Amino acid sequence: MAEFETQISPQVQNTLSELENERKAIVDEKYKGWGAIIFSGVVIFLMGALGVIIAGLLLGLCGIGYGIYVLYAISEKEKSYKDRYKRDVIGATLVAIDANLTFDHYKGILESEFRYSQLFSTTPDRYSTEDLIIGKLDKTGFYFAEVHAEYKTETQTKNGRQVSWHDILKGIIFVADFNKHFNGITIVRPKSMSASISAWFSKNVFSFGNKSVVQLENDTFNKDFVVYSSDQIEARYILTPALMERITDLNKRSAYHVSLSFIASRMYIAFPLDHNYFEPPMFKTLLNPNLLSNDINILNFMCDIVRELDLNTRIWTKQ
Amino acid sequence: MIIGAIILIAILIIGVGMYNSLIGKKNQVTNAFSAIDVMLKKRFDLIPNLVETVKQYMQYEGDTLTKITELRGKAMGTGVSEVEKLAIDQQIGSAVKGLMVSVENYPDLKANSNFINLQSTWTESEEQIAAARRNYNATVTTYNNAVMMFPGSIFAGMLNYYPMEVLASTEEERKNLSARELFNS
Repeated sequence: MAEFETQISPQVQNTLSELENERKAIVDEKYKGWGAIIFSGVVIFLMGALGVIIAGLLLGLCGIGYGIYVLYAISEKEKSYKDRYKRDVIGATLVAIDANLTFDHYKGILESEFRYSQLFSTTPDRYSTEDLIIGKLDKTGFYFAEVHAEYKTETQTKNGRQVSWHDILKGIIFVADFNKHFNGITIVRPKSMSASISAWFSKNVFSFGNKSVVQLENDTFNKDFVVYSSDQIEARYILTPALMERITDLNKRSAYHVSLSFIASRMYIAFPLDHNYFEPPMFKTLLNPNLLSNDINILNFMCDIVRELDLNTRIWTKQ
Repeated sequence: MIIGAIILIAILIIGVGMYNSLIGKKNQVTNAFSAIDVMLKKRFDLIPNLVETVKQYMQYEGDTLTKITELRGKAMGTGVSEVEKLAIDQQIGSAVKGLMVSVENYPDLKANSNFINLQSTWTESEEQIAAARRNYNATVTTYNNAVMMFPGSIFAGMLNYYPMEVLASTEEERKNLSARELFNS
């Protein structure tokens, strides 16, 4: 399959021109709203300094109220701009690239599926997901979506209880139909200090849960990952020497360490990322010819996984 | 006195732990070998069906088919050690591989759905055996480390446990083939 190109179709180009006008109007309103709030703040400060406190406060609060009203009024338009961009620009571009691709920005990977994947040992306390892309390359069906899963910690300070939020994953979860049948659960997690200690305990002292550490032969792979599985032989049936090399390569090409799991004939991969994809720019023009390059690049990267991991090879009983 | 007793109890607990762990590792090796045996049986069970299907189409491969059937009979016979069984399996593997190459000359057979299914199951069993062998080797390595390293070596001596040999890697394992290459070979 050829790499997807970042070319924007004439129809999408027209939509972008219309959306550019909407964007400019929204930005103007945003400037107006924030301008009113900042200006009112300055008025309150200056009039207060001059001793005209009551009048300054009244005037300033009116200005702040107006600013908040303008920002509130524009939020609906902003949502509609975002929706239309995702539907008529991203959605239309993906379908034009490959008719097998579908895009639904309201959907994602459900939290129940995130937990079920066992990609991470921490259970999320806050979870959000969007931008679900579903596709099929040759024989392999796949889908992926942006996910932000967080857990919270609470600390007692002298000012009371303080809640902090920490990322479990901010990035993309990619799910594909794996080309072999299997019944157990195999998890491939990046090697961290805690994972190494837990793996040592699991191997030498006792196992946590029903999964034990799988010691594989590929040294490079072992340096990057710790593998747990409910079935030692099945883990090796899935993680062949060739697949281990491919996963190591995929890990090198990714910005951060990836995590994988193999459950119920599916393969889950978590990619931590810094960028929020498929979002419309607000303070940059939409008429940039490279507008979609980042989004198409990530789409190419995800579709490449099917080829890189050789998932279309169906020489086993699973077709 | 109390400290001495505590030290003695601690040594006893550690000793019992190590002793049990060593026996556990030895049992794991036995289990791993049994797993290979199960996979081999699964593969040998495919042969009659494979031979029957192929025989109808391949007029000129009679010798190979007879050889495969004989090898299967030998492997399934009584008094065959596990190591011998593995060696026979390798011979069967090579013979079937040769047969799969000859299939190119029989387009009707190549298109036969029963044969296609058997071919996939055969490839699957090949990878499952490879996985079971790799598992066995990993288990033996863990056991050998426990037997040869101090203080495990003391208990190993008491139990008459000796290091075991790992299975030599097969051609496929050495070449680290991709699945597609395996299929096309």
